[in-house]
Amino acid sequence: MDLRFLPALPLEVSYPLLFGVLLVAGMLGGETARALKLPRIIGYVLVGFAIGPVANTLMPSPLIEEARIFVDIALGLVLFDLGRRMDLEWMKRDWTLAASGLAESFITFALVFATLTFFDFAPVQAGLAAAIAIATSPAVVLLVAQDSRAEGQVTERAMNLVALNSLLASILVTMQLAAVHYEVRLDLDTAVLHPLYLFAGSLALGGMMATLARAIARLVDKRPELHFTLIAGLVVGAVGIAQSLKLSVILALLAFGLFAREGAGRHDLLNVDMGRATRLFYIVLFVITGASLPLSSFETAGWMAGAFLAARALGKFLGVLVFAPIGGVRVKQAVALGAALLPMSSIALLLQHDVAKLYPGFGEQLAAVMISAVIVMELIGPIAVQWGLRFAGESAPDESPLAPAAAPAASRSLEA
Amino acid sequence: MPLEFARSEPLTLGVELELMVLNTRDYNLTRGAPDLLARLEKVKVDGEIKPEITESMIEVNSSVATRFEPLGAELVHTRDAIVAEAGKLNLAICGGGAHAFHHWSDRRIFPSERFLKVSALYGYLAKQFTVFGQHIHVGVANGDDAVYLTHRLARYIPHFIALSAASPYFQGEETSFETSRLHAVSSFPLAGHMPEVGDWAEFNRYFDTMAGYGIVASMKDFYWDIRPKPEYGTIEIRICDTPLTVQLAAQLAAYAQVLAADLLRNREAGGVAPQYLVYGYNRFQACRFGFEAMLADPAAHTHIRLREDLLATLYRIQPLGEQLGAGAALRAIGDRTQKSMNDALWLRECFQQTRSLHDVVRLQAERWAADPAKPVAEEPKLRAAK
Repeated sequence: MDLRFLPALPLEVSYPLLFGVLLVAGMLGGETARALKLPRIIGYVLVGFAIGPVANTLMPSPLIEEARIFVDIALGLVLFDLGRRMDLEWMKRDWTLAASGLAESFITFALVFATLTFFDFAPVQAGLAAAIAIATSPAVVLLVAQDSRAEGQVTERAMNLVALNSLLASILVTMQLAAVHYEVRLDLDTAVLHPLYLFAGSLALGGMMATLARAIARLVDKRPELHFTLIAGLVVGAVGIAQSLKLSVILALLAFGLFAREGAGRHDLLNVDMGRATRLFYIVLFVITGASLPLSSFETAGWMAGAFLAARALGKFLGVLVFAPIGGVRVKQAVALGAALLPMSSIALLLQHDVAKLYPGFGEQLAAVMISAVIVMELIGPIAVQWGLRFAGESAPDESPLAPAAAPAASRSLEA
Repeated sequence: MPLEFARSEPLTLGVELELMVLNTRDYNLTRGAPDLLARLEKVKVDGEIKPEITESMIEVNSSVATRFEPLGAELVHTRDAIVAEAGKLNLAICGGGAHAFHHWSDRRIFPSERFLKVSALYGYLAKQFTVFGQHIHVGVANGDDAVYLTHRLARYIPHFIALSAASPYFQGEETSFETSRLHAVSSFPLAGHMPEVGDWAEFNRYFDTMAGYGIVASMKDFYWDIRPKPEYGTIEIRICDTPLTVQLAAQLAAYAQVLAADLLRNREAGGVAPQYLVYGYNRFQACRFGFEAMLADPAAHTHIRLREDLLATLYRIQPLGEQLGAGAALRAIGDRTQKSMNDALWLRECFQQTRSLHDVVRLQAERWAADPAKPVAEEPKLRAAK
């Protein structure tokens, strides 16, 4: 009897199975966190922490490599959504919004740079790390805002500031690559041309994708489900093109979102809510992020990461508080806003990854500091955002479905 | 304890406008009222700007005016102040009777003690009440006149419905009605019209009876389409959708003023019972068909098209309107009536053109903020562009 139709032992773990497990385990972790009144993201990340070592022993190659496509799609969607929420018209009407964004970015940069220099890191290294520190995790802010059903000034301003600081962080990192090239003694042409190519190329790609999106949108009915499919397809495509052309995925997708919104009076593309449908990718993103963070780095660089994070947090709070009184933002709101800018996650990791690839001299120690900081912020960041949105009164209240019994007639009226 | 009817100058005017607070991303309603009102506290406007039941609404109360033109000018000024402050918060404001596509369950009750109690009592009706109306106050000399006018104006309620109708879309769907907002109002107990009391003394007996049953505590507990407002010394017409422009809001107030003046000068005798027998039917006809509604006339035992009845009324009161400085307003209303033009039609044309309710609300917000110099009687640009 030939039994070759039966699978051979040991069983091979396939990637679809892994993906399914990540998704369901992540969802369950998220709901457990929710039951403890914590942000769901913490559940996703903790599941990732738990799965990481297991996956690494079962799988031939690191999880992050195998699941890279899901991470890229997820990040693409996050960045596009963020770019679309950045409102230049608003910044023109209220200049203090843009000013507070610049302030928090540059104060953060300066304080982190000073801290790292104090720890004897070389200026080039400290500069790159400080630029990365500017970026707030858009995925954390978007997801927590969505989970808390937050609406209001702090939520809206946080989205705009996150978009702005992600943009500034990636521009600054790109610019400093010139210095890096110079340091590793490449010729001057490369030192200038490479950042220029990254910057101009990514913006151009974003612009072209937005134009394409509008052109296709005009061909179909203006229905949310059609426009959602269109956007999802183009976002994934844009990630692919950016990678093939060795452009900056972050800049290109932010630009795509931004240009898709700012259409100078053109409104061909619906502003569809990407929220629920993209949750799938977000869960995988956070589980994989958790799984790929080496917890051991925390042991080697823990206290330096603490100083790094303290400087960064100080910069964020100072930046938004400085312009709050001029912009008519109440102090309470500014504090909430500062808290909402704390999360650090995949954007920081991605930037750090890019830098380390181009510039091995970035150093294991600084990488350990950054990764430890991200590990800490994966847990503190979501809580800070959730707290901030609630403190500002923008989260939806937990309404009990059974309201108390009828009030007396005297209080019935709907009108003044 | 009888209700005290405050003295006020007869035929003075005031309006309340409930407005939508929108985000500028997809033009859904948003929780912007608390921040917007906080900013507006520092801006000087005549009248008042107040919160409403949910945090996506604000209410403008004009000051008391004697004539149509200063009322219109004040509303333009208030509107500009609100639009400017909203812009700094990245919010948009618009008129209209109901938001075209919001979901009522997303709304948040404005956290004042009173609104929270209302919400606890009425359950989902409180959030469903996120609809937007214009209330018109007309000053009267005394309670007897208030009762008389409340009854006699009932016949004209369909006119106000057809002229102001601006909510053909509700919860993302075409309703086939010119105004869908009134259904949210009808859900409340004690909606409808005032009972057939003959004068203020009789009204007081009715009120005492109802209070004795423990059903009402103040006039606010009545959700009638027209009601006496003894605290202000006015009658209050509550049937209109908030129009898409402040200019139309002022014109509707002028129409109410001149009608009231006409009814007070040429006092009508006879019972009001027959008019109330057809009241609900005529009201429905106007909500559903607007100017094309067929109104039952209980005296003549016939039906008459709303447009013709409205034009005949305007013809009758035009001379009086000129005396009261409301001639231009009545002519603008007549023009709209002749062309069967109302805001519901404008909104439907916007949808025809854009095929998206998000765009409809965006255009609604642009129209609300549009230049005050733009004449109201003008047809919408969308129509002209065809």
